[in-house]
Amino acid sequence: MYPAIIEDYQRPESLQEAVAILSGYEPGDAIFMAGGQSVMQAMKSRMVRPRCVVDLQSIAELKGISSANGLHIGAMTRYVEIAGAVELAGANAALRDAAQHVGDRQVRNRGTIGGSCCWNYVASCMPAVTLGLGAIFHLLDPQGKTRAVQADDFFLGPLETARGDHELLTHLSFETTPRSGSAYKKWGLVTDALPVVGVCLKLSLDAAGRCSAVRMSLSGLPAGAQRAPAGEAALMGSDGSRESVARAMEAVVDSVECHSDKWADAHYRQQLIRTLGQEVAATAFARARGEQ
Amino acid sequence: MSAKPDDRGSWMGTRLPRKEDLRLITGQGKYVADIVLPGMLHAVFVRSDYAHARLVNVDVSAALEAPGVVAVITGEEMKSHCRSLRQPVLLPNLPAKYPTYYGLAVDKVKFHGDPVAMVIARDKYQAVDAAELVVVDYEELPVVLDPEAALDADAPRVHDEEADNLMFEMTFTGGGTDEERAKNEAEVEKIFQSADVVVKGRFRVHRTGTTPMETRGVLAEWSASDGLTVYNTTQRPHIDRLAFADILDIPAEKARVIAPRDMGGGFGLKAPFYRESVVVAYACRKLGRPVRWIESRYESLMNIGQERGQINTLEVAASKDGKLLALRNRGIADVGTGQIGVYWGFVMPFLGAVEMPNAYTWEAGDTNLKVIFTNKACLTPSRAFGHFPTRFAMERAVDMVARKIGMEPSDLRRRNLVPRLPYTSVTGEYYDSGDFLKVWDNLMVQVDLPAFRKEQAEARAQGRYLGIGFGCGVELSGVASELMVPMENQPGYGAATVRIDPRGKVFIMGGDAPGGQGHETTISQIVAATFGISPEDTIITTGDTGTTPFGSGTIGARMGSYFASAVRKACDELREKITHVLAHDLGIRATMEEFAFTEGEVVYQRDPSKRKGFREIAERIVMFPINLPEGEVGGLETTAFFEAAKPMICFNADACVVEVELATGQFKVLRWQTSEDVGNVINPMIVDGQMQGAIIQGLSNAIFEEFIYNDQGQQMTADFEHYKLATAADVPDVKVTYASTPCPHTPLGTRGIGEGRPSAVPGALCNALVDALAPFDIDITELPIRPSVLWQKLKAAGAV
Amino acid sequence: MKTVSITINGERYEETVPARMLLVDFIREKCALTGTHVACTYEGVCGACTVQLDGEAIKSCMMLAVQADGHAVTTVEGLARGAELTPLQQAFKAHHGLQCGFCTPGILMNMSEFLEKNPDPTDEEIRHGLVGNLCRCTGYVHIVDAVRAAAAQIRRGS
Repeated sequence: MYPAIIEDYQRPESLQEAVAILSGYEPGDAIFMAGGQSVMQAMKSRMVRPRCVVDLQSIAELKGISSANGLHIGAMTRYVEIAGAVELAGANAALRDAAQHVGDRQVRNRGTIGGSCCWNYVASCMPAVTLGLGAIFHLLDPQGKTRAVQADDFFLGPLETARGDHELLTHLSFETTPRSGSAYKKWGLVTDALPVVGVCLKLSLDAAGRCSAVRMSLSGLPAGAQRAPAGEAALMGSDGSRESVARAMEAVVDSVECHSDKWADAHYRQQLIRTLGQEVAATAFARARGEQ
Repeated sequence: MSAKPDDRGSWMGTRLPRKEDLRLITGQGKYVADIVLPGMLHAVFVRSDYAHARLVNVDVSAALEAPGVVAVITGEEMKSHCRSLRQPVLLPNLPAKYPTYYGLAVDKVKFHGDPVAMVIARDKYQAVDAAELVVVDYEELPVVLDPEAALDADAPRVHDEEADNLMFEMTFTGGGTDEERAKNEAEVEKIFQSADVVVKGRFRVHRTGTTPMETRGVLAEWSASDGLTVYNTTQRPHIDRLAFADILDIPAEKARVIAPRDMGGGFGLKAPFYRESVVVAYACRKLGRPVRWIESRYESLMNIGQERGQINTLEVAASKDGKLLALRNRGIADVGTGQIGVYWGFVMPFLGAVEMPNAYTWEAGDTNLKVIFTNKACLTPSRAFGHFPTRFAMERAVDMVARKIGMEPSDLRRRNLVPRLPYTSVTGEYYDSGDFLKVWDNLMVQVDLPAFRKEQAEARAQGRYLGIGFGCGVELSGVASELMVPMENQPGYGAATVRIDPRGKVFIMGGDAPGGQGHETTISQIVAATFGISPEDTIITTGDTGTTPFGSGTIGARMGSYFASAVRKACDELREKITHVLAHDLGIRATMEEFAFTEGEVVYQRDPSKRKGFREIAERIVMFPINLPEGEVGGLETTAFFEAAKPMICFNADACVVEVELATGQFKVLRWQTSEDVGNVINPMIVDGQMQGAIIQGLSNAIFEEFIYNDQGQQMTADFEHYKLATAADVPDVKVTYASTPCPHTPLGTRGIGEGRPSAVPGALCNALVDALAPFDIDITELPIRPSVLWQKLKAAGAV
Repeated sequence: MKTVSITINGERYEETVPARMLLVDFIREKCALTGTHVACTYEGVCGACTVQLDGEAIKSCMMLAVQADGHAVTTVEGLARGAELTPLQQAFKAHHGLQCGFCTPGILMNMSEFLEKNPDPTDEEIRHGLVGNLCRCTGYVHIVDAVRAAAAQIRRGS
């Protein structure tokens, strides 16, 4: 309902200041606040009771998309900006697919990619999409040391990431490989709800138009954002035909654990993997071919 | 105002923009949470974590020490200082097991969310902090959640003092004695034995409801001289006033209830008398300071608004040429604790059973209802009161008959609609007036079924599955005293006070309490039409027991039927007086009918040069009461009561078109078309809005929403992340059309509308889905209907 | 306690508030601007508390008041200029886009920004834009009508 008592609120203006404030507290006693669209819920239900909130809104380096030297997205870049970023095409278009359908307009006006990934809610979209795209997460510690963590190593399970208690996620970087396309689509009971299942696919094509590299990830399952290696293996060499995609999705269905809940049973989730898989494959192939 | 009166100078039937809107679109509305009194304290409830447990100890010591805390109240204190909520004023005149309960739980908790203590602090954040410090020691008890299992002899009892969990049972057909009912049962059985066609289904409808956007709120203030004043989100302030007085044991004249002028939706949820209000009122008296409680959404979804929740095992017998013959139903309602004042959870299924036969003629019927206690929140009234489940069952069963005999479901419905009214249904419900066939035929014109069937066939050839579904509903237009007295121990009549001030402005006072339906506008149109003035010259006050005549509440579509009629009657009484005085002043002998009230003047129609301004004649009667006709006194104010000779109804018929994707079972409602008999329409824009809103609520209930308890009785859906309401992007446009018949029993030919309106929706929707998937011969007997469920059915049928 | 300075509808409010105070409570209780409503209490799902922060629609229950320090907030009270309603407000009245009015301020605050970004929306885009605002009375039909009509009016006016 209302947050528990918060002793202090800080609004640092630099990265160094931000990590310095956090390092003054025991792990968990101070939290970074990005867009707050998840962490505020947790604070109001008192699942999270920080003594200090460190608001990142004034740190300019955390914001924005840059494609000067590879693609970099600041941790505080909001969904609304990602949703409208035309530079996110081809290999990274899935980011837009996801951002356009996170929550609602108001959430997209505040929610950030970094906040979502660091919170890593079991059924959110951004962890699955950054995993599917093979993002690299750049972290800064209070000593000023930075480290880069692959998405595969960043997400450790629902509400857990490789980010250290005193580390700050500064930005994410993405490959901008040519002849590549990605796509993400989810299904939920109501429009733009958290996914019952979401599928992210990123692939590159060889000169013959066959899949030469591929990453696939899923959202909405109990393990949280997860890769689908069986599907990736099956898609290698695919020309994007419905049959080849169907085989790949069958391999995914056979290899991942789907659960039943009030929204859908496990069999329906499997069916969603099949049908959403076809849709995202069609889009990703088209994007890789430069058709979209 | 942009709208104009019609050609005859009347405001009746015009799309007048609402008087309410200006304040609401500029942020000037005054809802309960906007009212602040000096020194106001904030209350928060501590609620049970268990569905059924003995309260061993409630330790409030740490909470009392917390910063800002003024008091903590427990069930023991409520029991020793207040009466129970089982007060005569709140009890229906129907034989049922009425549990005794207090503002807070005593001895044991009976559902997840049962209020155990109330913390009062100077700051609302501090109140929540302190509520965390109340330590409740529970001894868990076995839970009973399945209503059928709850009837087992060894099932745990929800209420220790009752012999079993059967709260209420009634047979609605056959007559008053066991012998008559047995005879009826045998006769019905004979029809079933010899009928060409029999269909049977176990139709289960989940717990769901209407969930207004504004939660409940109570602000209570105590004064040694004036007693208790409660600002309460209530649809029935006058009943609340009596209940507060009786429970708190204060003289009734020392209790006043004010339903705030702006209420964020009610839909039935704000009609009961709730226990939380009692604790807040008690606390303000105890502390001598205003206390406010604003319900959280979590509390709301956990405690109230759960309706529907029935299993109806319905059989229908019919002839092979599509004549419906008999119905037999065994209904079960899962009432929860049965602890909600006025309704006790069972009044809704009771009325739902009464309304089951719908608009069809039946030779015979045999219907029985059992209402059963479980360790869940008590069923709470919601629009489509009790008959959302029974309509779903009936509309599906009628379609099943049509499919079985290969007849268009719309033809079968038309064939069986009650052809002439009045009519008394097989369960004894009186249908006063209207023309069901006219409504139906209008619907079919709107729909163009042959064109649709062609479109459907073409789509199917392309692998697209379109379907059309129909449904209809006889709905109450107000609730007559002959039903209200037994059902809710309250009168049905409408009451209105109308006062004309010396400036010719008309004040209307009503005891009901609207929640967004536009009563200020609708009433202003009636008054403007009656007096020939502008709607802007009217001022409507509702909801304050201190200033309004007794009203049973804004419930059961009482506005267009009872309240509007009482207003008209009161206006007519004043017109009589005005014309009497005016004729005297003009030196003529004339009756009221010889005068026209038009464009701000009162005109003698035989000689239009004889006229007087409405304001002038009002001023003359109110301010200068000399030289009056003999026997007349000054002043222009009266209170009128309206009761129709018979219960009244309105009627609607719906059609919807859906498209289903086979691969996923995902479906989209493409069109929703209605045909309505709402009597004479006062404001079509407002009526459109009522219908659209009701239909979308029905769709949201049928597809998205479901209250779920786990097997320990924990409420799992107490937030909007889990209790899903339809968003704008999830629902279709709704086209409303009219084929009305004026009601002969109201002075303006109006009918009350909108209350029952969602009930035709689940049947029509599911009939459309079944029609779309006709090649695969699937059936739908349970709600909610969701893509995952439909896909499973398609899979079972070998379609995917 | 923190002292904040928040400009609401052009007026600067300087108040000392607990760090945990929600922005919506600051608006409603410190500034007595009660047009901004609360309908879902903590989830940020209903949209009734939508205001504009520096011109963008956001949910004021999903933010601490201290986070708004130094920012400009517009609430429903700040839409009309004196007695002159905005085209969106006028359209909600003309098309009966509200019944109980509880969700309406949030919808107006969301849709007025939406129309700035998308002055000629399709019905589908309007409905998608409304996902963050739950309404229980209208079935959304007249809301969509009102937003569509306001868009046309604004286009004609500009």
